Amino acid sequence: MLRLITLALVGAVLIAAPLFLEPHSIGVLTTALIAALFAMAFNLLSGRAGMLSFGHAAYFAIGGFAVIHTMQAVESGAIWLPTPLVPLMGGVAGLIGGLGAGFFATRRSGVYFSMVTLALAEMLHALAPNLGGFFGGEVGLTSMRMPWLAFDYGSENQVYFTVLAWTVFGIALLYAYNQTLFGRLTVGLRESERRISFLGYNAHHTKIIVFGVSAMFSGIAGGLLAFATESMNYSMLGMGMSASVVLHTFVGGSTVFLGPALGALIFALFGSLVSDLTKNWLLYQGILFVLIMMFMGDGLAMLWIRIVNECRSRNWDALRQRVLLLIPGLLITVGAITILEVTSKILDQQQYATSVARMNAWPPVSVFGVSWDPTSALTWLLPLVAILVGIGFVYLILARKMQQRTGTIIMSREPAR
Amino acid sequence: MTQAAIELAGLKKRFGDNEIIRGVDLAVREHERHALIGPNGAGKSTLFHLISGLYTPSAGDILLNGRSIGGLPPHLITRRGLSRSFQITTIFPRLSVQENLRIAAMSKHGRRYALFSLARNAKEVNRDTDQLMELVRLSHVRDKFAGDLTYSEQRALEIGMAMGPGADVILLDEPMAGMSREETHYMIDLIRNVTVGKTLLVVEHDMEVVFSLCDRISVLVYGELIATGRPDDIRSNARVQEAYLGEVVA
Repeated sequence: MLRLITLALVGAVLIAAPLFLEPHSIGVLTTALIAALFAMAFNLLSGRAGMLSFGHAAYFAIGGFAVIHTMQAVESGAIWLPTPLVPLMGGVAGLIGGLGAGFFATRRSGVYFSMVTLALAEMLHALAPNLGGFFGGEVGLTSMRMPWLAFDYGSENQVYFTVLAWTVFGIALLYAYNQTLFGRLTVGLRESERRISFLGYNAHHTKIIVFGVSAMFSGIAGGLLAFATESMNYSMLGMGMSASVVLHTFVGGSTVFLGPALGALIFALFGSLVSDLTKNWLLYQGILFVLIMMFMGDGLAMLWIRIVNECRSRNWDALRQRVLLLIPGLLITVGAITILEVTSKILDQQQYATSVARMNAWPPVSVFGVSWDPTSALTWLLPLVAILVGIGFVYLILARKMQQRTGTIIMSREPAR
Repeated sequence: MTQAAIELAGLKKRFGDNEIIRGVDLAVREHERHALIGPNGAGKSTLFHLISGLYTPSAGDILLNGRSIGGLPPHLITRRGLSRSFQITTIFPRLSVQENLRIAAMSKHGRRYALFSLARNAKEVNRDTDQLMELVRLSHVRDKFAGDLTYSEQRALEIGMAMGPGADVILLDEPMAGMSREETHYMIDLIRNVTVGKTLLVVEHDMEVVFSLCDRISVLVYGELIATGRPDDIRSNARVQEAYLGEVVA
């Protein structure tokens, strides 16, 4: 019930978004939705089937290029296809590419599988600039969205709603896939491939199909990007794209169905918001990723589920602890950001070095609207103290939790047999 | 004489220079419960891996109901009607008992690529799943993760998994390993029940199990069969006593 309400709320916010967001933000949200669908497609392979692909950008980009070519063909009148259906061609291309690559990659398991997927994607990435006909060389390819019925696809909102519809449709299909007999078998693959074989299933064929389906949805996501940006470039095939989908999936949580979508949304929005504030946003994104992996290895969706369960079971102690942890968390965050920002500003060769040379002094820099003098000890000590105090608090809170936990274990221990 | 369910003819397996299985001839009759015993390192597990397709034979042949299966991959051997359990429990730990057995039961109905059938609507599969669950007496833990079951429950599930594809020939690799006396008795009873009307080949160390469960026994020593016969014959066989039983039973 709560799940349905949450979903309905998220859906309502997404549908109403154009009412309260400016076009630029709608563009950001569009890319976030595409990243969400991509992460969900990726997680079918990684989370459900237990095959960690390091080269999923390949199927994303193949879908994107297929769609750009389709759009060009529609534009020139060579073929007829309603514009909102164009992303479908990304799915077709992704499926074909995925079945082909999957045939080779799924012959191996574990790390070897990951390496093969990485190698296949990098191979394509290296070849792409030379295959100008299909990938458009260094400059890439562009096209125009053609009008369809009453829609001219000229506004951010029309694009946004098309992408939203495809994303929801794609995620719904992935959900349905999980409910099928084959979807159940897919999870078995993750748990024990040997058992699958000895039950009479051809594990290799099964894995190829899973790979193909995952690549198909990745291709749709790539197609949506081509559709939304009206362009495609071979750099989409690169490691960055393959890495970011892994990142999104694990931040969100690969064990919860919508976890990857959550991770993608959060990271896309985080990137967009923070990159407006500081050029160190990638550093913060990296730190965030490391922290989440260290302290909530199963992702943010799992954290959410835990909190909901604690509310349900009226576990006030646990909830109070979480709220308490926010205080030192804030201290550490503010302290760390201050040190990082001041450091990065005085290390900035172009701007800061010239002002140092001109004024023959180290001028103060502004962080959080406060002016920090780099030559003053206070500038460094204050944030450092904040961090240390924060860590001390965390330690105290966790130590108490430890104590309580061992206490309960002793009390609830069953009599020895 | 009825046709043999499993027939091994001059079966050999080498790993490099090591010959582990050195020419084994054996006929397991249809519907019999047959035990394979022998000291550690005799090659019992290797022989099981050969029959079930995990290893390919270096020489010789394996017949299942008269047809050669030597060198076939495991999934094809299972589809021909032979399935097995493992000494190291091979189940799906992060799936419920019901999901475990459902994947096993799907195979029996050939629903190997059922991309468009919802699991909850697959009536025959779900019915078979419930039957399997009752057969191995795990209905009370239906929704528990397999990984959270007790060890003996996991071993029972392991047998359920082997029964799932509906094969007529069942290979069980040390089903009682690591069990208490009580649990062993429970398991003997369970195995006897699930293998009614089937052919069973079982590797087991516990002599009490072997003698009470099986119709015939084969003794494997250093990759060679030194005797095959009824329990009493095996007990009184001098070579067997010398090689193996002497220290245990005498």
